[in-house]
Amino acid sequence: MLAQQIVNGITLGSTYALIAIGYTLVLGVLNKLNIAHGELFMVGAFTGIAVARMGAPLAVSLLAAFVLAGLMAVVIERTCFYPLRNASFLSPMLSTIAFGILLQNLATQFFGSDPSRFPDTGASFQLSLGTLSVSAIHIAILATAFGLMIGIDLLVRRTRWGIALRATSDDPETAAQQGMHPSRVTMTTFFVSGALAGVAGMLTTLVYSQVTPHIGIRQGLIGMVAMVIGGLGNLRGAMIGGLAIGLVETMNDAYFSAGYRDLVIFSIFFAFLIFKPEGLFPAHRSS
Amino acid sequence: MNVYVEGVLALMGINILLALSAYAILATDRLSLGNAGFMAIGAYVSSYLSVNLGWGLLPAFALGGLTAAAVGLLVGLPVLRLQGIYFVMGTLAFGEIVRTFFQNFEPTGGAYGMRGMFGTSLGMIYACVAVFLALFLAYGMARAGLAADAVRDDDEAARSIGINVVAVRLLSFAWGALIAGVAGALFAHYALYIESGNFNFLVSANAVLFVILGGVQTVWGAVVGAIILSLLPEGFRFLADWRLTAYGFILVAVMALRPEGILTRGMLRSLRRLLARTA
Repeated sequence: MLAQQIVNGITLGSTYALIAIGYTLVLGVLNKLNIAHGELFMVGAFTGIAVARMGAPLAVSLLAAFVLAGLMAVVIERTCFYPLRNASFLSPMLSTIAFGILLQNLATQFFGSDPSRFPDTGASFQLSLGTLSVSAIHIAILATAFGLMIGIDLLVRRTRWGIALRATSDDPETAAQQGMHPSRVTMTTFFVSGALAGVAGMLTTLVYSQVTPHIGIRQGLIGMVAMVIGGLGNLRGAMIGGLAIGLVETMNDAYFSAGYRDLVIFSIFFAFLIFKPEGLFPAHRSS
Repeated sequence: MNVYVEGVLALMGINILLALSAYAILATDRLSLGNAGFMAIGAYVSSYLSVNLGWGLLPAFALGGLTAAAVGLLVGLPVLRLQGIYFVMGTLAFGEIVRTFFQNFEPTGGAYGMRGMFGTSLGMIYACVAVFLALFLAYGMARAGLAADAVRDDDEAARSIGINVVAVRLLSFAWGALIAGVAGALFAHYALYIESGNFNFLVSANAVLFVILGGVQTVWGAVVGAIILSLLPEGFRFLADWRLTAYGFILVAVMALRPEGILTRGMLRSLRRLLARTA
């Protein structure tokens, strides 16, 4: 029973981690919040559903969610952040709230406000180890999410883009003097951030098949909680924060009461902000 | 007046109050995304008093607002120590905690919500708008209002001339909570039925967007923003299903093109000069 809850929690948490990674990457580069980040999860979820309904295989749905949510994130950067780059940090944040409202209404227009479902995948495979049973869908989610987490970690730590990203996060002016393009780095960061949230949305619809145009509000907030727990701007912290929230959620539902789920999560959020705002793993800043 | 027009005007008045509550906090250079929480407290407390205990509307509304203000003082103490986006997230967390609390709190109906409230009239809503607006204007001319201006413009400088920055921010936060609480009480007794979902994150976000669109530099910006954004979806009726999408699009466009909002202090000054000349 406990082992089963842990597997479920880590599966759920891995999708939260993907959301939190994107949140923290953008925050690391611009030091600003993208409140529409949760809507990219929603965009990915609906893209996945729309493509799957056309009869495409899962991998194609996944790729479509990745690309479209990533592109939408770039549109958000160009609309809400770039024109307001010299304004106070509050202006782009409010602009992203407005963009989020726009995306929710667009999604309602195309998919209606009733919950949409992912078409049946036909996967019935179950891996059973004693009382523990893991479905093919769970395995696919875990493999995709952890694959992406390892990939993004390598990308940030080992590639030229990662170096440019970290340099721009630390000190955009010096990075620009060294021949990096903060504007280009910002756009690619937004793409990656949106793409990961989109994948999280698509994967989540496979298990929790009810998707409404307003699903992104809660998912975005949960991503924010995971980011704060892990420490703002800390990539690996965001991953651990996401997994932790997933575990808290499934443990709460199994041993306490599902009705109190969000009350518990947001109370933890509040407690962290007041008593440990730097999170479990404070990001190293050279400045 | 037909029912449709009355409904639009009622919600517009409540939106003006929500905008004033967001403005009260923004006026000290802090942005709260949790005012829906204060609205919920005002709504549920006043409803419990009027429905379960048989109180009259006026005392029920007053205690609803005061409870919200008291919670504002308690929550403001730790949250106002947070800076920048941490403060925003702190208020956001508070709003979500209140919402999920009432979702589970059985004495006020829990997930089933609450009904049995009635009695809010258009006159009551706009009387509250007038009273709070008058208090804002009186406050703006008083020493305390000037202190709040100083805190907004440069809190370091304000501190150096002996202004208690923490106290100014805390009182403004509680003042914003009070207005949101009264707005919630009026809303509950107008809508006849409330559930925790009525007080979600988008309500807090809209309250701030009213102020930002109208202009953060004067209290009239909050009023103008709330009026425009309340009437906009109605004006878009001809777009049928697309009206909310158009609403979102206009919000995004205004934010990108005129981030300082529609009304600025400079504009009010030239408007006043123009009126003086024509008079």
